[in-house]
Amino acid sequence: MSKTDIDDVNRNIYDFKNEDNYDFKMQKGLNEEIVKEISKQKNEPKWMLEIRLKALETYNKLELPTWGPDLSELKMEEIATYVKPKSKLNSTWEEVPEDIKNTFDKLGIPEAEKTSLAGVGAQYDSEVVYHSIKEDLIKQGVIYTDMETAVREYPEIVKEHFMKCVPINDHKFVALHAAVWSGGSYVYIPEGVKLEIPLQSYFRLNSPESGQFEHTLIIVEKNAKLHFIEGCSAPKYNKVNLHAGCVELYVKDNSYLRYSTIENWSKNMMNLNTKKAIVGKNAQIDWVTGSFGSKVSMLYPMSILNGEGAKTEYTGITFAGEGQDLDTGFKVIHNAENTSSVVNSKSISKNGGACTYRSLVRISENAKNSKCSVSCESLMLDDISKSDTIPVNDIRTDEVEFSHEAKIGKISDKEIFYLMSRGLSEEDAKAMIVRGFAAPISKELPVEYAVEMNNLINLELEGSIG
Amino acid sequence: MTLNETPIRTSRNFLINNIKLENIEIPEQVEEFKNVHIEGIDKISKNITNSKLVYGNGDILEQNIKEMANNKIAINLQSNKDILMTYNFDDDNLNLINQIEVEANSNINTNIIIEYKSTTTKKCFHNGIIKVVAKENSNVNIVVVNLLNEKSTNFEAMENIIYDNANLQYKIIDIGGKESISNYYSNLIGENSKNDLKTIYLGGKNQIKDINYIVELRGEKSFVDIDVQGALKANAKKNFKGTINFKKGCKKAKGNENEFCMLLSDKAKSIALPMLLCTEDDVEGNHGTASGRVDNKQLFYIMSRGLSYNEAVKLIVRANFNKILEKIKNEKLMNEIINEIDNKLN
Amino acid sequence: MDKLLEIKDLYVKAGEKEILKGLNLTIKPGEIHVIMGPNGAGKSTTANVIFNSSEYTKTQGTIEFEDENINNLSTDKIAKKGIFMSFQTPEEIPGISTMNFLKYAKNKIENKPVKIFEFKEQVKKYMEELNMNPKLIDRDLNVGFSGGEKKKNEILQMLILNPKLVILDETDSGLDVDSIKTVSKGIDMYKNEQNAVLIITHNTKILHNLNVDYVHILVDGKIVKTGTQELAEEIEEIGYSQYK
Repeated sequence: MSKTDIDDVNRNIYDFKNEDNYDFKMQKGLNEEIVKEISKQKNEPKWMLEIRLKALETYNKLELPTWGPDLSELKMEEIATYVKPKSKLNSTWEEVPEDIKNTFDKLGIPEAEKTSLAGVGAQYDSEVVYHSIKEDLIKQGVIYTDMETAVREYPEIVKEHFMKCVPINDHKFVALHAAVWSGGSYVYIPEGVKLEIPLQSYFRLNSPESGQFEHTLIIVEKNAKLHFIEGCSAPKYNKVNLHAGCVELYVKDNSYLRYSTIENWSKNMMNLNTKKAIVGKNAQIDWVTGSFGSKVSMLYPMSILNGEGAKTEYTGITFAGEGQDLDTGFKVIHNAENTSSVVNSKSISKNGGACTYRSLVRISENAKNSKCSVSCESLMLDDISKSDTIPVNDIRTDEVEFSHEAKIGKISDKEIFYLMSRGLSEEDAKAMIVRGFAAPISKELPVEYAVEMNNLINLELEGSIG
Repeated sequence: MTLNETPIRTSRNFLINNIKLENIEIPEQVEEFKNVHIEGIDKISKNITNSKLVYGNGDILEQNIKEMANNKIAINLQSNKDILMTYNFDDDNLNLINQIEVEANSNINTNIIIEYKSTTTKKCFHNGIIKVVAKENSNVNIVVVNLLNEKSTNFEAMENIIYDNANLQYKIIDIGGKESISNYYSNLIGENSKNDLKTIYLGGKNQIKDINYIVELRGEKSFVDIDVQGALKANAKKNFKGTINFKKGCKKAKGNENEFCMLLSDKAKSIALPMLLCTEDDVEGNHGTASGRVDNKQLFYIMSRGLSYNEAVKLIVRANFNKILEKIKNEKLMNEIINEIDNKLN
Repeated sequence: MDKLLEIKDLYVKAGEKEILKGLNLTIKPGEIHVIMGPNGAGKSTTANVIFNSSEYTKTQGTIEFEDENINNLSTDKIAKKGIFMSFQTPEEIPGISTMNFLKYAKNKIENKPVKIFEFKEQVKKYMEELNMNPKLIDRDLNVGFSGGEKKKNEILQMLILNPKLVILDETDSGLDVDSIKTVSKGIDMYKNEQNAVLIITHNTKILHNLNVDYVHILVDGKIVKTGTQELAEEIEEIGYSQYK
């Protein structure tokens, strides 16, 4: 029987590039002058510059991780940390410059905004070029804007939360992020406000040899509810690009936040992103993550369950093809009684791609009656690929229910035989099984993204089944 | 001292890549360890190969053995044998630094029991290496039992090579010692080679168990099954690191790994890192770990038959260990182990 | 055409082990055949080898369908020729609903799109006849189905795909009396003068409701005796010992 033939992620719709047309592009590299210049370009208050400079100091002190994928191709001296697009922040698409607007049109963002979103933010290189939110939400006190505006208009809240959930010394790339951050979204959902349709931010990196360092800060007050979606993509260049974003989520008592990500960076991207949520009493954070792009990814969203009865679910799929080393997973700290976590991770490796599931579950001494169940499955589509599972389970109290299960293997010959006996070709049968493997995750994604994901896996079953 | 590194590192913050021990005194001078009882070998050879360990507990300890071993046993099996080695630590024999090498030639069946126990209440030190070579079609059963007293330090590094159609069954009963650090590496190089590893550990007081198992599957249709059953009382702490590595070429290999830790106290700590590493597609790998208290329904059922809470817990832990214990075909040893388990659980 | 399936002098190995040792079998349109035999005789092998399962190697002999050698056709091509097998243990395929799968397979077999509305009606009707829980149609293919539900789902697929030859591999095993009746009813609904059925079984309950033309006794990879329905009854009485 021949090897599985599942097409690579179809990147055509993401690979178009615009001319590297910017208002200002920082010289490559990283030093104090560059950090000061970024702050100056943004006309920032002094306190923010101080945070940046302190972060730079921390960055210089910290070592690269001694574990995980090879980062040797990343050379900070060849990365421009700040690229200001030729556009101000707009609130209507008409005002956005033609080439940039065309980019987001092709990605389907304005269309999705009309049909299924409550608000949209769009970042192009280092700055947010478009932000908009439905009128009625503004009336209810919902804030959805870019981070720069938040620093200007809500300095007290930003000061209280910025780099507090994720401390600057967490790891080297967090420190880097804090030193050169630019763009990103700020979301504030007031107490009791429940958004039934999602907000979405889209991050597009067009400029070659540059980095994107957007900061997302979301505060969901008590009894509130939000579904936030982020998408990211970039055209492919020959030299390495860097993405080191940071996401800080504050999920207050009894509130609910769902954070969905479709990560589809080009295969020259180093994606070293950090995401963390602090979860209050009886509150819940659900992460839904699809990782398809980038050359190297190190991405482990983290839930800190600080409130009694807090919950979290992580649902993730990673698909690594040729030349990709995708190291993804999840971290959860149970810090209070009756907390619970559910992890469901799947990965697919083909064509020499490497997937690693890496995780930490820590149930602290005071997290009595907590529950955690983890399931991860890995599919190997050929014998030149790689798949590792590296889960750490750290249980520090007895009144817990903890279980972890992992499986690794290939598509079952028996399943293929069964489907072929019903008239499916071998390729169709394998594609159907792979799609079925991914289905529990794609079901969790917003409809447009689920469709996109199926396109991405390019199973060519569209229309005939589904 | 930093010991027992995992084959692949993960984040340092996860506290499991290795174990750091302080205040471990490695004896600087040792005399021959005399209180060894051996059955089943006619002539004892001390011809140890001294080949470097692939993993092991760390360079310091390996060096210590190479320089200072005070007991060496090399066994080259040409016929089927049942062998028993009992190392009895007493007031005159407190430090054992030993090497055991077993080579089972083709078609040989052998059962080997290696027991470490103390009749002294003084602190004992053990640092050992056990190497096993299982040649084609051999059947090798090894049982390693650690019943050292609660002040002792126990280090053991085990290393195996398993050839075509050979079957190595290993049982590790890890109960004694204040610190017990074990490293186990199996290289399943042969086609159809098999390795079955079953472990019981029981930790009480401030005991520390650091268990690092690494199995590499290289031969076609090679098979490994790791089953680790443990219980932790009081402030005991355990790190379990289990790695099954499917190496290129191990088509149709299977690997299972299962670890279950019963937590008998709210101060006990259990960390587990069950790794599956894979660079081959036509394989099947499974692992599971679970931790938690003794099942309340089981407790209720047993207590309804008149047993106290403690008795019921003891019974359940024992029952859980039994499926591994009953495979030890030496009644005297089994009773010793069961007594020790009961003492610990009281 | 007077023959649907013709197996000539077939030898088959699974790994190193020889399982079929010179099997001969001819099935004509309109016929119902039964293969009986003790465990390990090669009954399921026969079914799977007709579909060219990669678990088996043919070392000698031919399998012809409608006078064409199908020894080396891929499994899906064999299905498209008009052969259907009801699996002894149907696989669970998560991620695709039973309805969508039926539609998809029907498209593949007929090589043209089905008319959705009519198709759904037809499925609904068959499910009622087979006494199946209507909710199963929206569940993933065989996932979480009970043993009986899986077997009925095989019969449903058989009715929908409407092949020329049906092979039922132990479809009756593990079923209660009512379910066996339902399966027999399914076969009755399917059967006509143009098509044929091959039933592989080790008990005779399923045969009571059917008009069987031939009963073959398979022992140690060969058919050792062929008879009519009475032969099955004889086996039910005294077992296989006389053929060993």
